[in-house]
This record gives sequence, C-alpha cells and structure tokens, in this order.
Amino acid sequence: MAISRRAFGVGLLATGAVGTGGYLAVKDRPELQGLLGNRLNLFGFIGGEKEAFLADPDVVRALGSRGLTIQSRVAGSVEMVREQALLSQKPQFLWPSSSIMVDIARQNGVRIRDDRVVLNTPIVIYSWQPVADGLMQVGLVTRTGAGHYQLDLKALLEAIVAGTDWSKLGVNMLYGRSRIVSTDPNRSNSGFMFAGLVLSLLSGNLATSEALAQFGPKAQAIFRNMGFKSPSSGKLFEQYLAGGIGGEPMIVGYENQLVEWILADRARWDRIMSGSGAKPVMLYPRPTVYSAHPLIVIDEQSHRLMDALTTSALQQLAWEKHGFRGPLGTPTGNLDSAIAGMLPADIDAVLPMPDAGTMLPLLDLLAK
Amino acid sequence: MKRIATFALGLAALLSLAGCNFGKGPDFSFVSGSENTVIQPIVEEFCKSKNATCTFKYEGTLDIGLALQSDNGVEQDAVWPASSVWVDMFDTKRRVKNLTSIAQTPVILGVRKSKAEALGWVGKPVFMKDILAAVQAGKLKFLMTSATQSNSGASAYLAMLSSALGNKPVIEPGDLKDANVQNTVKALLSGVERSSGSSGWLADLFVDSAKRGTLFDAMWNYEAVLKETNDKLSGMSQEPLYAIYPADGVAIADSPLGFVDHGRGAEVQTFFNDLLAFLKTPDIQKRIAATGRRIPLTDVAAPTEPLWNFDPKKLVTAIRMPEPQVIREALTLYQAALRKPSLTALCLDFSGSMSGAGVDQLKQAMRFLLTPEESSRVLVQWSPADRILVIPFDGSTRQPREASGDPLEQEGLLNSVLGEQPNGGTDMYACADLAMQRIARTPNVGNYLPAIVIMTDGRSDDRSALFLNRLNASRLRVPIFGITFGDADKTQLDGLAEATSARVFNGGSDLAAAFRTVRGYN
Repeated sequence: MAISRRAFGVGLLATGAVGTGGYLAVKDRPELQGLLGNRLNLFGFIGGEKEAFLADPDVVRALGSRGLTIQSRVAGSVEMVREQALLSQKPQFLWPSSSIMVDIARQNGVRIRDDRVVLNTPIVIYSWQPVADGLMQVGLVTRTGAGHYQLDLKALLEAIVAGTDWSKLGVNMLYGRSRIVSTDPNRSNSGFMFAGLVLSLLSGNLATSEALAQFGPKAQAIFRNMGFKSPSSGKLFEQYLAGGIGGEPMIVGYENQLVEWILADRARWDRIMSGSGAKPVMLYPRPTVYSAHPLIVIDEQSHRLMDALTTSALQQLAWEKHGFRGPLGTPTGNLDSAIAGMLPADIDAVLPMPDAGTMLPLLDLLAK
Repeated sequence: MKRIATFALGLAALLSLAGCNFGKGPDFSFVSGSENTVIQPIVEEFCKSKNATCTFKYEGTLDIGLALQSDNGVEQDAVWPASSVWVDMFDTKRRVKNLTSIAQTPVILGVRKSKAEALGWVGKPVFMKDILAAVQAGKLKFLMTSATQSNSGASAYLAMLSSALGNKPVIEPGDLKDANVQNTVKALLSGVERSSGSSGWLADLFVDSAKRGTLFDAMWNYEAVLKETNDKLSGMSQEPLYAIYPADGVAIADSPLGFVDHGRGAEVQTFFNDLLAFLKTPDIQKRIAATGRRIPLTDVAAPTEPLWNFDPKKLVTAIRMPEPQVIREALTLYQAALRKPSLTALCLDFSGSMSGAGVDQLKQAMRFLLTPEESSRVLVQWSPADRILVIPFDGSTRQPREASGDPLEQEGLLNSVLGEQPNGGTDMYACADLAMQRIARTPNVGNYLPAIVIMTDGRSDDRSALFLNRLNASRLRVPIFGITFGDADKTQLDGLAEATSARVFNGGSDLAAAFRTVRGYN
C-alpha cells in the first residue's frame, strides 16, 4: 500500500540511470523534475481540511521540485464527486476526504484512472476539560494509561436522544440538555462520516440498508437536534474554539485539526495551556471511523501528484506540520513530543464506513 | 568612493522608508454592525501603520445580509456583522472568505439596579420565566431592537422562543406553530417600550434619556454594550444597568470579520490577512477585551464589576442556533404576529414643491410600505394588529385616513395616498400636532408602540415652539422620526427628533429604503 508497483518501477528505473549519466539521472528522478523545467500544472478539487497542507510553502516547494504546481479549489467532498457544476470544470484530480467518495464518483460517471489513500485522520470529538471530567465521572469517558481520552460514543448518543441534561452527565456548569454538533452531512465530509458512524453505532454493527430502515429515524433525530450545521469542518472547528464551553461544548472534527491549529502558533497554545480557562480536549470515540483522503486520478498526468504525495518527504510534512497520518493510519514522522503525546500512535478500534448504497439514502433522510 | 558611499546611504534611507511602509497602502472599506464603533479606532491604528485609507459604514444586520444576498453583493472589502449566523444565512453565493470571529459577547438583559433589586433579581439566577412574570405583572418594560432588523433583537427573541419551548435542544419548524409558545413570547414582547434597528442607537437612547431624566427600566443588548452604557451612566452619577444573564440560555454574538474579494489584487487580500493577524496579537486582544468583549482561549478580560454583575469570564450557556429556514420562519412570525403592535402616524408632505420626481418617489415608497408582498420581503410588513394613520399635509393637514395592517385595509390606504396631488405650502407641525391628538385618543394606547414619521422635502412654517410646548405638556411619549427628501431643512426635523428621542433618516436617494429603516424603529 505504501509504495505502488508503479512507484516502485520508477524507483528502479531511477536507480539504474545513475550509472548512465548525470543528465539522464536528473531526467528520471521525479524529485528533480523541476530543475529541467519539466513543469506540470494540475487542477483539481480538494476538501477544505487539506487547504493549509497544500498552501504550506514547504509542501509547495517539495511539489515544485518535482515540477508540480497544484491549482486546487476547495469543495465539499460530497459535492465534488457528484455536482455536475464542479465536474464539468474538468478537474484532473479529486481529493475528497473519504474512501467511499471513490464509489460515489464512479456511480456518477467520473472516469477514474486510479485512486489511492494518501492520508488518514480519525474522526474525533472536540470538547473541553470540564466536560471530559464530568463524562469520566459517569463512565462515558475513560482515560488510557497514556493519557488519551476514549469516549463511549454509543452511550453518549443514547443519552442525547433521551434528552439527558448536562447535569446528569456530570457536567454541572452547563444548563439544559446535552448535545453534540457536527457539520452538515450533505455538504461536508466530517458530518458525513459522523452520520455513518452514528448509524453503525445505533445498529450495533457496520450499518447496512436494513439498519437504515430500522435506525434511520433515530439518526435523523440526533442530527435534527443539532439545529444549524456548518457547511465546512474548518468553520465548525473555528466556531468551537471561538464559542468555548458555553457555545460549543462538543463538536465532531478531525484529529489533525487541533494539531494543525497548535502548530500554526505554538505560543498561543502554550498560553492556553498555562491559562486559567477551560482547555480543549480531544475525545477518541471507540470505535471511530477513519477519514481517508483518497487521491482520485482523472487525468493520467495526475499520477505524478499521487507519486509525489506518497513520498516519505511529503508524508513527513503531512504528519509533522499538519497532523495527517499516513495511508496505514500511523505516524509518518516525528511530532514535537508535547503534541505527539496527545495523539495515540495507533487507533485501535476503527469501523469501516457503511457502503454507498447505505450512505446515500441516509444523506437523503438527514436532509429532510 | 564618496559617490558610492552617498549612493549607499541614499539606498539605505530608501529601504528603511520602505520598511516603514512609506508606500501608500490600499483603500479599504468595512461594513459593520454598530456595536463595533468602539473597535474602529483600533482598526484605524492598523490602517495608519499601513498607510491605508480605511472607511467604515455601520448598518443593521438585515441590511448587511440583504446586501450579501443581492446580485451585486456588498460594495465593501470586508463585512463585520454581529453574528456569523447571518453570513451563513444570506451569503448564498459564498462571497465572504476567511470569516473569523474577533470576539464574543452574549445578548443579555440590563435592568436598572434599583429595579433589579425590587424584583429580587440581585445575586440570583434569573430565568426567562422570571422576566415574563415581571412583564406580565406590569413591573418591567424594556428597550429591545427589532428582531427582524438587528442581531441583538433577534438574539433576545430566539432566546425567548427557546425558553418558551422548555429548552428542548433546538427550535424546529413545527415548534413555531405551538399556541403556548406564541402566547408566551408575545407576552414577553409586550414588555418592549422602545425599539430600533440598531443596538448602538438603542444604547444611546438609554443614556440620552437618562441625561434628560427619563429612566427606562431595562434594555436587551450585548454584554459589551451594557458595559459601555454603564461607563457612561457612571460618569453621569446615574445608577447602572444590572446584568441579567438568563440562566436558561442566551445567544452569543461572535463578531466575525470576513473578506469580500472584489478582485482588487493580492495587496488588498494581504492587507486583510495582516489585519486579522494584528487583531489576534496579545496586546490588541487585551485592548479589545478591555471594551468588555470576551476573547476566548485567552486570559485577557475586562475586570469584573460586581456592582452591576458584570463578569466577562462568567460561563453562559448558549442556545443552539436553529436551521436557517427555521430562523427565517421565526423572524416572519415575529414581524407578522408576535411583536408588540405598532401605532404609526405617517405625515406625508404633499406641498407644491414635491411636484414631479418628489411625488413619484413618495408614491413609490408608499407602494412598497403598504403592499405586503413587497414589505414582507425585507421583514417590515404590518400585521393586522397594527394601526396605521396616514396624514397628507401641505400648508395644513389634509384628510387623515386610518386603517389596520390588514392587507385589504392597507390597499385602501394606499389607494387614497395615490390619489393625492402636490399643492400648497408646508407645515409639518400641524401634521405632527394632529398625529399626537389622534394617537392620544387611541383606546388602549399602552398596548402599542407609537411613533410619528414625518416625511418632508422643505422648510416648514416655524411653529416648533408652540408645538414643543404642547408636546411637553402631554404625558404621552411618542418619538417623532423624520425622513428628509431633496433639499429639506434637516434642522427642523432634528429638533423634533431630539425632543422626542427619535432619529432623522436621509431619504435623499431612496425614500422607500428610508421608510423601511424607520419601520425597524417602530
């Protein structure tokens, strides 16, 4: 999975070329393509959570050295694989945030030449220390030996559906009923993945069409109770940070969002940790789902982007600067130890997403 | 050698000047909610450091929303409304980029301290039901902006709805049809004593009235605006507004600043990004916090003021914002049924000088105001419970006509206005006088929000002294708003507006827009 046969072949060729002459060596080494002026502009749609990664000067440089200039436009994962308004702009690649989008793209007649998961990040719940402490008291959250918080999401969802007050969940400082908020599953991937996870948890197994018939209404109730749902994961995360414990006690997000936010301004994070206010906390649902980021190659030339993104240099940047895990869900570099300590090396309980045949009708139900 | 040295010195001087941003920065414009007036100087410091020319326009939430929604979008380079909810609702073409919350401030109820004490609310959690009980017992009235025109009013209203629903997790479409919910919120809104389309103006109204010895009981406004208000009241040795944070949840404004790309180049975008970074620096955050705003995830906050229960670090539970469609329905319900009915006298200038374009525009404006399909598009439609009095005037008053806000009655009113022709002189005082008399004679006048709106294009015969004497003698407090047209003499309208704590609007380019705005105050 980590190195495709094709990439391996390119590597062999490059190794063989070393003895043949400097020019040939440069010509065949993808990371030096940029030197030869062999430039390739690629246009495609990406999920908003990868915007900062692709805009990172180090990433731009690494891609540039391989002769690649990426012109990406942000679009919702669900819309980029099925909206004709976007597909008609002839993207050369799509980079949504869930493997299932590959199936949905195919069903919508997108001619896929290749697809491969290049990054991963688990769905997590962002909350605040006092909420986590309360949930620990009532047994919904446990703390692992390594200090990570695990959340019994199914039990929490049942409590929310039952209209349980925060105070009954050990959180006395918040008034009213407990709640959790995700993005709009019809527009944004983190909400979409959360919807799949919710349905699976409610049905007690990987959700199928039968589960949808039985538990769909309950999933619908959970999403209705959220009220206004943000159209993008980035916006919701900002809303969480800005709203604080009173405004956004619990939201659904990606693991890498907090990492990226911390790395963007370390001094800010240090101030927060030493300050007196409530601190952000990451809760790992058990089980959770992985948001995989498959690169969908539409134009043959986009293979070069796929190859570049799977090199160790870019994988390392993805983890160390943006918190994305590699194709196998494991770290692909070294994070500063304080941050690395916040993240488990492995996510040990992961559910696959329900298939497109279950997810698409679920989306329709949640839109009602 | 000497020449080289001179050249090097010159170059160094040039470079250092460039480092000081000697070059001209961009012209950059903002459209913002009035609550940000106090932050403007901080932003201007940044503009100055970049040699940029910054301009500010203050508008109500609905105006900003409607501009975002329109085909042309907003003219300005940045929008800064009170809450991101409105951007999500109105920016359907997704023109606003990098929307970033600058500060947070909950919408709460400030109650005159002695009143709060009398109600037994000091040092205790107060729920919306306690506020309702006080209103129903006739012990409390308050100022609140129009929910359809201004974010603070909408926030207070949504908190009322949430509470009336027994704090279920969120307001859903069917909930708004619940008769009990409607009755509860209607009863709460009957406590409105004055309204407006702007939170900043409402706070000024409170302070200016206090200066003149008129004490309102209470005001719904932003926590930060209450702080500004109390700072002013304290300077006047007046008692402060005691902060009531309804314990069952409030709406929190997140004051988001967003960029609107007009394709003016990278320099403008960079200026905006730098401004965001500037507003997030610790020193500036400290100064923003000093205005009473909350800056999440920092330790900076204005000092607590136990005297009036102000505590920007106090945790407030936010109500969950409903889906945009539900918010729209809720706002329509507010305008059409739940708000306190208005009793509005429209004094319309039909003097000879209005001939031609003036009369055409005035009739056009009346078509807008008295046609429900048009006025409801911008949520200023009348409800059947409203009373509308139209008094055309010239050198004296013409035949007044009165109707309810029922659509058929509105049509009758409109037809009568369309039949008027311009002629004669101008005496707006005669019209204001008649309007006052008619309002005073209205049965159960206390159940209405009364207002007189005088639209004129000219200079009236000056009978202000006589009129103001009569006004002062009357116990009825009715704000007299003005709408100027053409080369109207604003000073006369200003005099009336000032004497009655009202406001004058410029109808110069768009009379219909001016009438729409004035509706937000009534």
